[in-house]
Amino acid sequence: MISAITTNLPVFIIIAPLFVAFVLPTWAQRKRLVENLVISVEILMLLGTCYLASIVLLQKGIPIIYQMGGWSAPWGIELKVGSLGTFFLLTVAIVSLPVALFARGNLTHEVGGKERVARFYVLYLLLIGALGGMALTNDLFNVYVLVEVATLSCCGLVSARNHPRAAKATFTYLILATLGSCLVMGGIGFIYIVTGHLNMGFASQELGRIWQNNPRVVWMAFSFMLVGFGVKSALFPLHVWLPDAHSVAPSPASAILSGLAVKGYLICLLKVLYNVFGFYLMRVYSVHKIMVLVGMVAIISGSISALTQEDLKRRLAFSTVAQVGYIFLGFGLLNTKGLTGTLFYLASHAVIKSTLFLSAGAMLNATGKKNIKDLSGIGRKMPITTAAFTISSLGLIGIPLFSGFVGKWQLLMGSMETGSILPVSVIISGSVLCAAYLFPVIRIAYFGTAPEKDCKDPNLPQKLALIFLSAAIVFLGVIPGSFLELANRAAAELLVLR
Amino acid sequence: MSELIKKIIMNYPYFAAFIIFVIGALTVLTRSNLFKKLIGINIMESAIFLMFVAAGNIRGGAVPILSGKNPHTLYINPLPSALMLTGIVVSVSVTAFALALILRLYRSYGTTDLRRIYEMGNEVSE
Repeated sequence: MISAITTNLPVFIIIAPLFVAFVLPTWAQRKRLVENLVISVEILMLLGTCYLASIVLLQKGIPIIYQMGGWSAPWGIELKVGSLGTFFLLTVAIVSLPVALFARGNLTHEVGGKERVARFYVLYLLLIGALGGMALTNDLFNVYVLVEVATLSCCGLVSARNHPRAAKATFTYLILATLGSCLVMGGIGFIYIVTGHLNMGFASQELGRIWQNNPRVVWMAFSFMLVGFGVKSALFPLHVWLPDAHSVAPSPASAILSGLAVKGYLICLLKVLYNVFGFYLMRVYSVHKIMVLVGMVAIISGSISALTQEDLKRRLAFSTVAQVGYIFLGFGLLNTKGLTGTLFYLASHAVIKSTLFLSAGAMLNATGKKNIKDLSGIGRKMPITTAAFTISSLGLIGIPLFSGFVGKWQLLMGSMETGSILPVSVIISGSVLCAAYLFPVIRIAYFGTAPEKDCKDPNLPQKLALIFLSAAIVFLGVIPGSFLELANRAAAELLVLR
Repeated sequence: MSELIKKIIMNYPYFAAFIIFVIGALTVLTRSNLFKKLIGINIMESAIFLMFVAAGNIRGGAVPILSGKNPHTLYINPLPSALMLTGIVVSVSVTAFALALILRLYRSYGTTDLRRIYEMGNEVSE
């Protein structure tokens, strides 16, 4: 029995949230039971992921290949539990548990009605399952299906609040995201037409042999993939849907959307670029230069747009656009340090941005307002929430001892290795701009005149979630240890010449 | 030039898929009516389906059902068609969700024109 579970653990980790998502509606009336089920699935997922991560760390980089249904590779579908997969799976598990805990607090109020709570959790678990699948899958068509599952559940989460503004934001998001998935599917089609394989390993081998015969088709596949995943992960010129969608969603949903969902698409893009095309082809087609350029533009313009926002959640949403720019820039650096830094930054941004959204949600809930100037003096009334906000802001800016610093430092080292001064200066000025749009919030919260209205820290589960996430930010910043090791190994594996 | 025309005629399904894709993308991006945007998305998806199915086709190939009676040597590739079945399911669910959203938008704004919905801004009651 135990051995059956441990050998099939990779697939159980994906199946468990999906399965619970489908049985949840039958107990929709019993809110406590639904919440407990969700939390226990999250805890099981975290435990299973830790077990897998320990195995991968002990095996020194030899991935566990799981064959679905026992069919071997060119015919069957594979799950590959390598360093990259476990790294992202750990991020998903670590972030989604406290967000679910936070949602326990006042979700009924956030989504407007008790009967909508179970529906919210169904979408939440579908999203988590799809993200887990994205981390582990080694099959191109599975990538497409999981991306679609994630997109549809994201759209559902955005419209969880029954409000016309939410419907408007969801429609824009749905149309643009479907456009993106059409492009992704087209790109997969081109790869399949050229190579005849959907398995990433086989497609990559075949592509390495025959890309010179069809250079234009490979070029099309590159551009379809880049633009498709670019729309989905809100790369700068294609980010128009993000600020509306992420600011109108209930705060646990915005935390998971901004923190994890965007990262899932980025991990898929990383897998396609490095595991299928390989970095040799990226260099031949100069894709890395385009990515660095677009990343730099995204950092600067995202940060400047964030500066001009008065609505706190919109400011955080625009900040996500800027941070996606960092990750794109790092994907294009093509060296181990840069890629390690990017992966670590991706994980730490997932933790930091969900903390920011959750604490912002708690503050806005207590005051009942949306704008930053309405938060004056709230730091004295809600010490824990504001402390969590401050810690995560410092982390996002990249102050030493917080997790953002470790990733940003490695990213900086990596961009110095390329010999060009422009990315380095953009990364540093991005940090300065980040301080410029986050510090005013902290200043107003701590030093503004206190509000007359009686605001209190949120209830126990929400406080626990915020403390857990803040502790994770500090812990990853002080002792990145094996987490950084995993990122480093994943980066080294991605850059192996095939 | 005649070389190019010959290539297009030889690969006409791909060419058709390209034209359909562009029509769909233009419809999505230029029309402000919600229904037209949705139809554009569906047209784009059909183009991708056509491309996949055409990739699996082999001229003169038989239906890929193995039986002892008529031993063909050439079968078409069934995998892309099977994949597109999944694609169609996804496309149907996206369409259903989008139609529900359009209904919701029409009830609160009284129009299905995205530009007018944006002009109305946020002054709409629940």
